[in-house]
Amino acid sequence: MNSLIVLRTLGMLLLCEAVAMFPSVVVALIYRENTIFAFIVSIAITTMIGLTLFSIRVKDKIIRYKEGFAIVTFGWLMVSVLGALPFLFTGAITSVIDAFFETVSGFSTTGATIINNIEVLPRSLLFWRSFTHWLGGMGILVLALALAPVLGVGTFQILKAESPGPISTKLTPRVNNTAKILYITYTVITAAEILLLVLGGMPLFDSFIHTFGTLGTGGFSIKNASVGAYNSVYFDIVITVFMIASGVNFSLYYIAFRRKSPAGFFKDVEFRTYISIIAVAITFITINLNGKVFDGVLQSLRHAAFQVASIITTTGFTTTDFDLWPDFSRAVLFVLMFVGACAGSTGGSVKVIRINLMFKYMKREVNRLIHPRAVTAVKIGNTPVQEEVLSGVMAFVMFYMIIFIVASLLLAVQGHDLVSSVAAVAATLGNIGPGFGMVGPATTYSALSGFSKLLLSFCMILGRLEIYTVIALLSPRFWKR
Amino acid sequence: MRIIIVGAGKVGYQLVESLAKENHDILVVDTDQEVLDRINDNFDVLTKKGNGISSSLLKGLNIEGWDLLIAVTNSDEANIVACITAKKVGVKTAIARVRNPEYVVELDFMRSNLGIDYIINPEHATANEIIRLLLSTYASYAADFAKGQVRMSEIIIEAASGFAGKQIKDIKLPARVVITAITRNGEVIIPNGFDYVMPDDTLYIMGEKGVVDSVAKTAGVRIVNNRVKDVMIIGGGKIGYYLAKGLERLDINVKIIEQDIERCRELAEGLNDALVLHGDGTDITLLKAENVECMDAFIAVTGYDEENLLVSVLAKQMGAKKVIAKVSRSNYTSVLETIGIDNAVSPKLITASDILRIVRGGRIVSISLLIGGQAEVVELIPQEGAPVLNRPLKELGMPRSIIIGAILRKGKVMIPNGDSVIKSSDRVIVFTLDSHIDKVTQLFSRKGGGISIHELINSAKNAGDAASM
Repeated sequence: MNSLIVLRTLGMLLLCEAVAMFPSVVVALIYRENTIFAFIVSIAITTMIGLTLFSIRVKDKIIRYKEGFAIVTFGWLMVSVLGALPFLFTGAITSVIDAFFETVSGFSTTGATIINNIEVLPRSLLFWRSFTHWLGGMGILVLALALAPVLGVGTFQILKAESPGPISTKLTPRVNNTAKILYITYTVITAAEILLLVLGGMPLFDSFIHTFGTLGTGGFSIKNASVGAYNSVYFDIVITVFMIASGVNFSLYYIAFRRKSPAGFFKDVEFRTYISIIAVAITFITINLNGKVFDGVLQSLRHAAFQVASIITTTGFTTTDFDLWPDFSRAVLFVLMFVGACAGSTGGSVKVIRINLMFKYMKREVNRLIHPRAVTAVKIGNTPVQEEVLSGVMAFVMFYMIIFIVASLLLAVQGHDLVSSVAAVAATLGNIGPGFGMVGPATTYSALSGFSKLLLSFCMILGRLEIYTVIALLSPRFWKR
Repeated sequence: MRIIIVGAGKVGYQLVESLAKENHDILVVDTDQEVLDRINDNFDVLTKKGNGISSSLLKGLNIEGWDLLIAVTNSDEANIVACITAKKVGVKTAIARVRNPEYVVELDFMRSNLGIDYIINPEHATANEIIRLLLSTYASYAADFAKGQVRMSEIIIEAASGFAGKQIKDIKLPARVVITAITRNGEVIIPNGFDYVMPDDTLYIMGEKGVVDSVAKTAGVRIVNNRVKDVMIIGGGKIGYYLAKGLERLDINVKIIEQDIERCRELAEGLNDALVLHGDGTDITLLKAENVECMDAFIAVTGYDEENLLVSVLAKQMGAKKVIAKVSRSNYTSVLETIGIDNAVSPKLITASDILRIVRGGRIVSISLLIGGQAEVVELIPQEGAPVLNRPLKELGMPRSIIIGAILRKGKVMIPNGDSVIKSSDRVIVFTLDSHIDKVTQLFSRKGGGISIHELINSAKNAGDAASM
């Protein structure tokens, strides 16, 4: 492996992170908070390490598979470690593990928190915490690619390793243009949501925070009761719509914009499946809640829609404590945790396209039993899916389930109850945030042991980088020459 | 007529043979001198050695103003390029043989942007013919024209239908459909506004596809369509592929058996719902396992006539309702009926009639027989100078039994009325009783150049070896 290019790229990444910390300084200045010093020190440290690494001279500038995996995995680890500095320096979080957990949760757009009373934190720190969602959503390396096309050949490996979904495509011939387009789309939608929230009467700062949480499908709020604290139908609707929109493959927006027609959305099989799943889940939960938890269909619909959108897009905002809902509704939400959003969106978990392919694969196997001589191709729309992609998807689902099972066992062995253990892993591996039981919407992850927090942090990174990128690095073969 | 033929392979040779008999001026271009020598020995034509794609060669031949270029080399791409070049050099009409299924979806693009007037695809034409045979076996039927934009549908009126017992003028029909004919007790009626629709009548309505379907729904009747439900195809070559693709589109269950595993994979990728099976079509256990006895139709289109005939007979014995075999050689035609094969199709004959249709000036795009052959629906392009052009329809003095069902202009479907005018670039879909086909041909052809459709089809058979291979 070409370690030098990996280090140099990591250096550039840290420089980007240092830049990304500046807006928080501005927030601190605006609100005259005493956190400025903490941020400046964090920026200084990050810049120093970044510059040192970036100054490494590299002869061979080619990024291959291995380098791509290493850059992305180590990049995410380093960014999370350094991103935790402001939490530590401000004293908001004292434990190193906790600060790391919170930052990983931010960048991986999970939204799981260990802070019990969020409302007392300084605003600049809250801004940084939510800004990590926004950066992590589209991918911090993708951002680096968009901003600094100084890297060598093969940057597509990075894009592939970081962006979610079984098949990555470039929108334009050049990777950095693709990255730019993705970020421009992302920024435009972000601006739209902030505008709508502000127009509805949400304070500007709160609008920024909740928009970062929505677009990145993260879910960090600045209220202990999350979006529910505002108790506004308008905010609920705006955020529900934008959560669903953030779970859609972002290249579809670009294509729709280019063709000046939204037809592409409805032609996209994954989008159709995604919308159908959401519709069905909302219907079931609304019926289940009506009369039992909320009076009136509209109230039930409002909360069902918000929670379903929040869970399937792996955002994790809540308007109500869904852990108190009837078992059927909770079961539906739990299932949605394993579905996730569309490939190429900012959402996490398994992804609709993989679920779709998995069912088609199973259908084919059954078909094969009935017609042993049949030759079949699994297709998405009219496009045949290559066998390698298909087996990759199957292996992904298996990996996902095995990691889910092992991590759940590791939590349960420490004496946590079954529901909490299972839900904590499902909610972190899927980058969702709130789970059930001990880690439900009304509680936080703070009661878990240090080991559990590290384990779940690992799950979050695994989930965000879609397992393979990280697993490849853990394989002994990776390190052989 | 002055005709250039590019490519003197089997097809080219056959074309020369049939066209030379008919006093056309023919110029043959090929790269192989030996073949050209053989042609020169046998026919009174001009030959030129060279690459038919080359513009300098074509220009040098002074073919500006020639009527027709037929490109039938082995390569689709060469044929396409030869046609484009010829059109640029000034040949009036160009025909290319294009067989690759990937290009079939591009035909419209080629016509409108590359200027290729006709594209001959023997396998596609054969598959369409088979589909037509399958559908027309049954009394009830729907046929699509103008690339599926216009549909002719047969609707059986039940007693409970909202149409029953009403005069046609009282039936509210959307603007884009017409009732072309009614059959009652086997008698064909060309209706006017005062005719009544009775229960058990069969209406033939024509119009834009979606509208026709919705009319059928509002009439409270089901569209009687595609009674064929299950079809088994042996042989996954080009014909098998086109056939499966076409049948799929009609919601017919298709099983296709192919020997070559690689080809099976290609088929599976290209087809959506059809079941692709890897195996030998003559393997009885496989046929039985796949329920050949339950098939409404069994179609053998492998590359070998003998195999096609043999498995067809086998399938018939095992209980398949209708069997169709592709038979390229005409020697076998006499035995077909005695061995129980329902239909045999010959790509050669189909291609021959296609090319001759064009050469002889008939611009008929597709023909469909209805009501047991008593009526036909013909899709055609009027010739320049034809009497039907540029005059309101009501002034043409057409008999009532000829109905201009739809006009396709620039991709848009229009349902004409008496004031509508047909222009030379239109495609027209005409419903006519059998007795008035000659009149249709007169109307749509240049004066003096009128050839009846029957003549066309017959002459295609005679001149017919302008081949498919």
